[in-house]
Parts: sequence; structure tokens; C-alpha cells
Amino acid sequence: MKRSFAALCAGIFLAAAAAAGGVAGYTADAQKSRLEFAGVQAGAEFKGVFHKFTAAVEFAPDALASSHFEVQIDMNSVDSMDKDRDSTMRGPDVFDVAHAPTAHYVTKSFAKTAGGFSAVGALTLRGVTKDVPIDFQFSPGPAGATLAGSAKLKRLDFGVGRGDWKSTEWVEDAVKISFSLVLKPTT
Amino acid sequence: MPNQSSPNRYGAVAQGFHWLIAALIVTQFTLGWLADDLPLGAHKLALLARHKSFGMTVLMLAVLRLLWRLFNRPPQLPSGMSKNGMLLARGTHIAFYVLLFAMPLTGWTMSSAKNYPVSWFGRFTWPNLISPNEHAFELLRSTHHLLSDALFAIAILHIFAALKHHFWNKDDVLVRMLPFTKSEKRS
Repeated sequence: MKRSFAALCAGIFLAAAAAAGGVAGYTADAQKSRLEFAGVQAGAEFKGVFHKFTAAVEFAPDALASSHFEVQIDMNSVDSMDKDRDSTMRGPDVFDVAHAPTAHYVTKSFAKTAGGFSAVGALTLRGVTKDVPIDFQFSPGPAGATLAGSAKLKRLDFGVGRGDWKSTEWVEDAVKISFSLVLKPTT
Repeated sequence: MPNQSSPNRYGAVAQGFHWLIAALIVTQFTLGWLADDLPLGAHKLALLARHKSFGMTVLMLAVLRLLWRLFNRPPQLPSGMSKNGMLLARGTHIAFYVLLFAMPLTGWTMSSAKNYPVSWFGRFTWPNLISPNEHAFELLRSTHHLLSDALFAIAILHIFAALKHHFWNKDDVLVRMLPFTKSEKRS
């Protein structure tokens, strides 16, 4: 009885949400989704990934006003395919995972663009919050949707890089982010 | 001095390759030794970025030098040399050429294995030769070190041989590779 009541409430809530905005809710499939970054060291680009992150996506192309993304990234899961660099990045001079284990991204607004969509969201990294725009494409499919896009940010805006790593001479300030999420509908 | 080598003297091009590459190799040993014991930091990145740029320069010069040598025969060894002496000289020179290719190639592959792509003085980035792989990196690193020991040893042998020819045998083996000298026929 209790369960069906909860289901009923959830149903009413979803219906209300749908009526209000018409957005569909998704979560990223952790196995199939990918969050990548590309930095430049000594003039050459290197890539890495964050293995652990969660993304809650509420999105509909015709209801941008009520769309919303929320992403949490486990900074400890950074993998640049070199253990020495990974431990440096986890350390106090770069991500400082001991004090800031999670990065957080929450969208504020969406817009339609020529090639897809864009959003502006607040990124909290190393305890510093700043707006970072993203560009993405949203493709609904039979079992959910895919969301692929990119962003650019300046690491020093977030204090990522202290001591040796504050200089941009050998590690550039600009960092590229790209993501490809396989979304499953939330039930 | 003519560009082409003659039967008893190295030409300007061969001498240019010899001394330029010799200077680069001395620089490479210095940078490599300085960087080797450093922890990952801006200083190490800076030293290794130069080491890689110079190393790729050596590789390109080695290609040109080999081509030049194939179409422009070097001077003959002095006729008075023993058979073993000639074998040793030829062997040393072949080993030099092998190492001129092997050193940069193992270094380049090492960088690929550690996911630190190689830039050429920040102008362009060389493609990765293999995908990142820790195991391969360790193997390549020991190979690169071993080859550098071999290069050091034969360079010492080469220098002593040149001095021996000049001061002991009193032939023109050293002088014919020296710019700004007149090759008087000494033997």
C-alpha cells in the first residue's frame, strides 16, 4: 500500500514536471559514458579522463527553460595514463583532492545554436565556482539519448596549478573538456 | 672548403653534420642527466621538452646525414692502418649511425608510452608511435639508458682514436674532419 502510494506520488510529480516543462529525466550510464580533458604540456597536447562521475540530465529540446544538468566528478578518478602525473594532479598543487574531492557542474541556462545547443553553468573546481559555457548535441534514441559536447576553461581561474604549476610556460592555462554521455531514462 | 668530400678530406656538409650532431649529443647528455633525477615539476618538464626537441632534431639530421653519406663517399681510411684497426673504425661508425636513429626513436616511443606527446620547440607535435602503456615505458626507458651508455662508450673510443691517429700515427684522420685547417698530407 505504502509502495503504491509512493509510486502514485512519483507519478503525479513526474506528470507535473512534464506538464510544467516537458523535460525528460536521464542519468548517465557510467560504463558507456566518457569525460575527457586535454591539456597542453611543453607545446604538446595530452589527454586524460575522469573515470568516475555522475550526471543527472533533465532535458528536452523544446523545453530549454526547464532543462537542467547536474554533474559530479570524482577528482580522484583522474587518469592521464601516467601514474606520476596522476599523483601530481591529485596533489595539493593541482586538484588538491584531499580538500576538494569532487568537482561540480550545474547549468543555469540553455540556448539553441546552429549545431545543437549551448548551456552556461557554474563549475565548482577546487572550491572555486565560475561560469563555464558548454556546447553539446542531444540525440534521443530508443533506449534513452546521447549527449556529446565540449567546453573550454582556464585552469588558473580555479586555482588549478600552484607552486611549480602556476606558470603557463610549460603547462598551458587553457584546458579542453569533451564528454559523450549515454543517457538512460530515470524511472 | 668544398661541399663534397674528397678522397682525403671531409667536405663542408659532412663536417657540418658531424660537428652539429656532436654538439647536440653533448647537449642531450647534459639535459638527460639533469632531468633524470628530478621529481615531476616545471623544471623537469622544461629540461625534457628541450631534450625531446633536440632529440627530434638529431633524428631529422641523421636522416639527411645518412642520405648525404650514401651519395657522397667519405674519405678513405689511411692505407697504413691494420685490418683490425679498420674493422674497429668501421664498426664504431656503423654503431654511431645506428644510435643516431635508435636514441631518438626509443625516446620518442618512450614519450608516447607515457602519454607525453613530443613537441618540436612548440612549433608542431609529433604523432604518438604507440598508445600509452606503463610496461612499455619502463622497457623503453631502460633501453634508452642502455643505448646512451653505449653511445657514451663509443664516443670516448672515437675521441681517443682520433687523438691517437693525430698524435701517435701522425696521419690526417683528425685534421680532415676539422674546419678552418688545411689538410696537409701527413701520411
